[in-house]
Amino acid sequence: MTRDVAGIGLGLRHDLATELLERHPKSVAWVEIHPENYIDRGGRYQEMLELAREDWPVVTHGLSTCLGSVEPFDASYLKELGAFLKDLEIPWHSEHLCLGGVDDRFFHDLLPLPFTDEAAQIASKRLTEVRDAIGIPLALENVSYYAPQGPDGLAEADFVVEVLERADAKLLLDVNNIYVNGRNFDFDPKAYIDRIPAERVVQIHVAGHFVRDDGVRIDTHGEPVPNEVYELLDYALRKVGPVPVLLERDNNVPPLDELLSEVDELWKIYRNATWADDAG
Amino acid sequence: MLADHAQAMHRVCFGAEPSDADLELLGSRERWLVYRDLVRNRLNHVIRVALARTKHAIGEDAFARVVDEWFSIGSPKTRYLRHVPGELTEFAIPIWQRTEAPWVADLAGYEITAWDVRHGPPNPTPTHEFAFDRKPVLATAVKVLHLAYPVQNKPTSDAGYAPEPTILCLYRDKNHKPIPRKLNPLAADLLDTWRTTDQTVAESVQQVAAAHNTQIGPDFIEKLSTLIADFIQRGIILGGHSPTL
Repeated sequence: MTRDVAGIGLGLRHDLATELLERHPKSVAWVEIHPENYIDRGGRYQEMLELAREDWPVVTHGLSTCLGSVEPFDASYLKELGAFLKDLEIPWHSEHLCLGGVDDRFFHDLLPLPFTDEAAQIASKRLTEVRDAIGIPLALENVSYYAPQGPDGLAEADFVVEVLERADAKLLLDVNNIYVNGRNFDFDPKAYIDRIPAERVVQIHVAGHFVRDDGVRIDTHGEPVPNEVYELLDYALRKVGPVPVLLERDNNVPPLDELLSEVDELWKIYRNATWADDAG
Repeated sequence: MLADHAQAMHRVCFGAEPSDADLELLGSRERWLVYRDLVRNRLNHVIRVALARTKHAIGEDAFARVVDEWFSIGSPKTRYLRHVPGELTEFAIPIWQRTEAPWVADLAGYEITAWDVRHGPPNPTPTHEFAFDRKPVLATAVKVLHLAYPVQNKPTSDAGYAPEPTILCLYRDKNHKPIPRKLNPLAADLLDTWRTTDQTVAESVQQVAAAHNTQIGPDFIEKLSTLIADFIQRGIILGGHSPTL
């Protein structure tokens, strides 16, 4: 059995959990967690998850399954992940379309895959393997990247679609990542969204990013959501319909009221773009 | 090939000096150095949070040298960010034993044990109350630490700590914080026996008392009862299991 996830959600992060769990704001309709932060962990994290589950549906977003790695999966981890996810009654799990490690070493960051046919083949095969292992629908997330791609690869949107179609997978559409990549590599974010099969999108991520002095945009999840990303969210929602939207804030976490103002803004956009009347 | 690309990314992010050949393969020197910074900054942050006192004692430069050396020859094997400081410490403590003041290795061991206790696994659920004819059920986040210096306290002078053999039990309290509690050698062995064997409380008490040449008389029983009551009150002992479990 799964719990319905709709409307605007917020990432359950340690820095904001105390206030969030005490106040339980009605505008937050669901929460998202990273399984790696909770698997086999007691103490405050266990308590946070238990309290959150009393009030909200939970969605999970993985950090380390590494769809683009070339080594075989750690079968014991996939088993552990599957068991953890099963207990949470989640409608789907998501992972990043990136390279997270090599030779059993982890970067603890999301490094970009080359947008090649070889990488698409590997990532789609691995996505299918993970989905089979955990027994839950699996969505991939498009990531931000900062280094230019080689000349012989696909455009990013074509690469993402290639993986989605090969694996018959769902997509967690990160509009901030599309915006960051569009600004860093001079493409039209709306054209990217037009290229995505709308029926594959199950969830959207929204966040802020950092602009360096040299103009390079870094996906820090540590700044307020800029207007351009709100606009891109509106554009995406009009294409894909009322899928749940998550506000990500992992760094420079402000007082909860500031985040809730952003949540309110997201609800306005969500309702205007989708005519949805979900609670919030 | 993706495999070559991935290997080059790893060398650029963790190598002592990224090579021109790798940066050329990946395509942009400037932008791949951004990735190097992002990867290393995230790991450095969690390491410095976990080992804040050790870093302060050693100094930023010496601490950074060891972390950089670890990056260059290993980098994290764990997918869990919270386990990264433990992997670094396994590498670093033998180095600090050679290069730093004699109490620094104890301090690093104490800090990483406290970190592990704070972030340790959930507790088991006992099936019974605690009883002498049952196996004791302990909290998962309990560790016994044997130290040559009392590094759980603030240093007594600018030079650090004078030697003072100390046995600590570190446990996670109700507010999820790691708390040190001093133990005598017999209590430490008892706790270790409870953590690592399937013996009942009665069996383990008899074995440990014999090993310490201690007679189980009224005085011993009174002290043992006080110890057990304290462990239960602190959440170190959670209850008991039937011996057949």
